Amino acid sequence: MTTHRTRTTLVILGLCLALILAACGIEPEDSAGPTSSVDPGDSGATDSAAPSETAVGGGEPEDELNFANWPLYIDQDDDGNSPTIQQFEESTGVDVTYTEAIEDNNSFFGTIQPALEAGDDTGYDIIVMTDWMIGNMARLGYLEPIDVERDVQNFVENADPAYLERTYDPGNQYSVPWQSGITGIGYNPELVDEEITSLSQLFDPEFIQKYCGQIGMFTEMRDSMSFALLYNGVTPSEATIEDAEAAQQVLLDQAPCVRDYYGNEFAQSLADGSLAITMAWSGDVFQLKLEEENADLQFVVPDEGGILWTDNMAIPKGAAHPNAALEMMNYAYDPEVAAQLAEYINYISPVPTAKDIILQHVEEAETGEDADYLRAVAESPLVFPTEEMLDNLYSYKVLDEEEERQWNELFNEVVQG
Amino acid sequence: MPDWLRRHRGLVPYLFLVPGGLWLILFFVVPLITTASVALQEGSLGTGYRLTFNFDVFPDAITRWNVQLVRSLEYGLIVTALTMLIGYPMAYTIAFRGGRYKNILLLLVIMPFFTSFIIRTISWKFILADQGFVLGTLKDIGVLDQSFRLLATPVAVISGITYNFLPFVVLPLYVALERIDPRVVEAAADLYASRFQAFLRVTLPLSISGVFAASLLSFIPAVGDYLNAELLGSRNETMIGNVIQRLYLVNNDYPQASALSLILMLGILVSVFVYRRVLRGQELTV
Repeated sequence: MTTHRTRTTLVILGLCLALILAACGIEPEDSAGPTSSVDPGDSGATDSAAPSETAVGGGEPEDELNFANWPLYIDQDDDGNSPTIQQFEESTGVDVTYTEAIEDNNSFFGTIQPALEAGDDTGYDIIVMTDWMIGNMARLGYLEPIDVERDVQNFVENADPAYLERTYDPGNQYSVPWQSGITGIGYNPELVDEEITSLSQLFDPEFIQKYCGQIGMFTEMRDSMSFALLYNGVTPSEATIEDAEAAQQVLLDQAPCVRDYYGNEFAQSLADGSLAITMAWSGDVFQLKLEEENADLQFVVPDEGGILWTDNMAIPKGAAHPNAALEMMNYAYDPEVAAQLAEYINYISPVPTAKDIILQHVEEAETGEDADYLRAVAESPLVFPTEEMLDNLYSYKVLDEEEERQWNELFNEVVQG
Repeated sequence: MPDWLRRHRGLVPYLFLVPGGLWLILFFVVPLITTASVALQEGSLGTGYRLTFNFDVFPDAITRWNVQLVRSLEYGLIVTALTMLIGYPMAYTIAFRGGRYKNILLLLVIMPFFTSFIIRTISWKFILADQGFVLGTLKDIGVLDQSFRLLATPVAVISGITYNFLPFVVLPLYVALERIDPRVVEAAADLYASRFQAFLRVTLPLSISGVFAASLLSFIPAVGDYLNAELLGSRNETMIGNVIQRLYLVNNDYPQASALSLILMLGILVSVFVYRRVLRGQELTV
């Protein structure tokens, strides 16, 4: 009996060992960095980091396009189809598969990274990633270079000039913006006695005593850290590790009064009265304000500054249909299309002339309700921000890998104790 | 039955184990070994991970996250005690006093499972919102202080987990209690046991296997739960599940996340083992 059991245990142990060994045999090769030369037959993956690479495109669109985007980030009719996509299919003959595959920059990156590393097609021709992630992916050689002058002329002609010079993608080498948004402060005037204008009303431990437990912050490390940096008078994109440590201290001092660190669900808690003052994304507050009972909610860019972030369309390395992808990028910068998208998405459109087209749609609207809604979109500073607002907005810092690890570690201590 | 099988009749039971065994190897053993292998690697998503047999990751993870580990075990124990206190009388009543309503009562116990538990937990968030219809109303009529809140407190998280795992406790307890022959309880009464003594010396020991199963079914998932802490709690209620989730999906720190998962498994395994020993001793003395 004993010997029998011992033998079984031995067999199992042996099996485990074999599997572990097998695992270590594969892993490093699979996930070796760009420096390793194991990738015979695929030159694309090894020389991808070189900046002087020739851009993809310049040809006729292929007959297919796989587009990965975030949820609720495109127009939708009552049947759940996107008129923009349908019109694109009709005018170009390209068959578009549009998926709402992206919930989060990091986790989506985690799912496509193995294919990119191996030099394979990820299955997507356009992905939409936030600015800092575009910076990371470009550095890793995971994006196809593009030539906007040749292939995305609408972008060159119609985009807000501010978008032609982006710190995370100098020279528009890899991406064009999809939509932008502002991270600012949202508050509920019913629960707050004074007007909120400053970050000190979010961070100053003495001031927030009054609203202890009703303060909301974001679980996105970059958003919350950048806010604390701005409160300390530091420009986020120029922050050093010492600045980040000081920012962590601000967040830790504030933490006892923070109700929770939110993602998209902050909007619900702001609407139901659980939060008095919170970090907020412009588009969400705009949508909340459309409902009558939430019309009082306020969104402000604090005096010390807010964050302007941009989600961008880019072509992942090895994509099968780069010409169709460029065609789509160009299409999205047609002012008519940009207006149609802005009317539905309610974030910031990269095409300023879309505003006039929306106002034109107000005139043509069939019902008063539609007209009111469209006018609200066109006139809202949250969708078409004023110069004054834009002047006071900053971008995230593009972190290298070591910095990202350090900042994450600092921020983990804030959100998880 | 083919000839070779007839000759080795003893093999038949093992053949029955093959499908389940393969399933476990594919979906439990293989991932477990991969997890162990990832835990011992170093690197990052961008540069790739390399197996370096970095065993320090285990003590490091424990030191870094000991507060959340201890808190999870603590919440798990409290939840198990609460579900037992609430679930045992429920199961007892259904088993012995349910009569012809037994099936309906059991159906009611399972009913919440008809909706996803994420939806149910989010509903709690609506119901218990600071200015929601429960707390808002109580505050307006002056029963509660304006600053009172339930959400983002340990009470909310523990109640949420208790609520979500209660049916897992009631069902095995019911099965154990239902099997008890009422005549043995009557026999105890004949032997001059009070009702309380009969319960303590007859019913409870006979249902101990159900108690064991039920407490495991609440303790194990409760310790690893992250949804309730995520939705109903704040940073002060962070459980180890939340830490692992963030490390995996937000920070892409796979080695530390894997190490923590293994530590959690080991912790649960040890507690279950100790519990079994204690309970077995109990059975002998009662």
